[in-house]
Amino acid sequence: MNPYRLALALGGAAATAAIAFGAVFANGSNLVAETERRAQAARDMAGGEGVELSFTTRQGWLTRHPTLSGGAGLDDKTRARVAQAIADTPGVGGVTWQARGIRSRAFTARDDRPDATHCQSDVEAILRTRSIRFARSSAAIDPASLALLDEVVAALKPCVGSIIAVTGHTNKSGVEAANIILSRARADAVRRALISRGIPAEGLRTAGLGSAKPVEGLDPEDPANRRIDFSVIEKVRLIPTPIDTPGSG
Amino acid sequence: MPLWFEMLVLMLLTYAAGLGIGWAIFTRGV
Repeated sequence: MNPYRLALALGGAAATAAIAFGAVFANGSNLVAETERRAQAARDMAGGEGVELSFTTRQGWLTRHPTLSGGAGLDDKTRARVAQAIADTPGVGGVTWQARGIRSRAFTARDDRPDATHCQSDVEAILRTRSIRFARSSAAIDPASLALLDEVVAALKPCVGSIIAVTGHTNKSGVEAANIILSRARADAVRRALISRGIPAEGLRTAGLGSAKPVEGLDPEDPANRRIDFSVIEKVRLIPTPIDTPGSG
Repeated sequence: MPLWFEMLVLMLLTYAAGLGIGWAIFTRGV
């Protein structure tokens, strides 16, 4: 075959693939959402109470082939009727019932993970109007801030198991090296206070940044830059592989 | 089956069919 024509044909195939991806990217979620709405209506009409529809594949891609789960209280006849009604919905490609076992385990593992960003926004809300205060040029927490720490601990408790980063900041005054040491010492003081209030030590990380990161929109010299930031970093769950699991061999 | 895969297969098949028909017309004058 003429190499020029071959290149032309392959180029056309690549362009076609690009259009296919573009179309799915641009309108796929609308299409699936609309199909899902109609399928849910069909499920309700067929009396499939408690049956959940999932329009994503195991890898998380959108699909026209929903996976059905739940509806354990329904008898087989009703389940079959519900599945048929959903499969008959225009746009739905076909249905499968979710198998028990590995797949449902994967779902629960995802669902019971603590919502790390939720904890962080709670802590930020607490610290928006008040801040943890320290004695001047010292890492000793002001006794007036202890109640505030209790609130922070209460907000962080649901995220135990995640990595919580405690970062100390100072304003730009004096020697920067001393600022870094002081901000680090203050972050460590907060870390000790969190541990003494029941947050596990292994999830806590501290850092002192000195005056390197002032509050956005504030003058670096402003004393309001002296602060402690908390960030909750979601922890990736370790799923033991056969090598990690103590085995018979 | 992911939506993008269905779309890709469908469009590539359509493209290949079009290419085949076009080729037949231009080479053989169907």
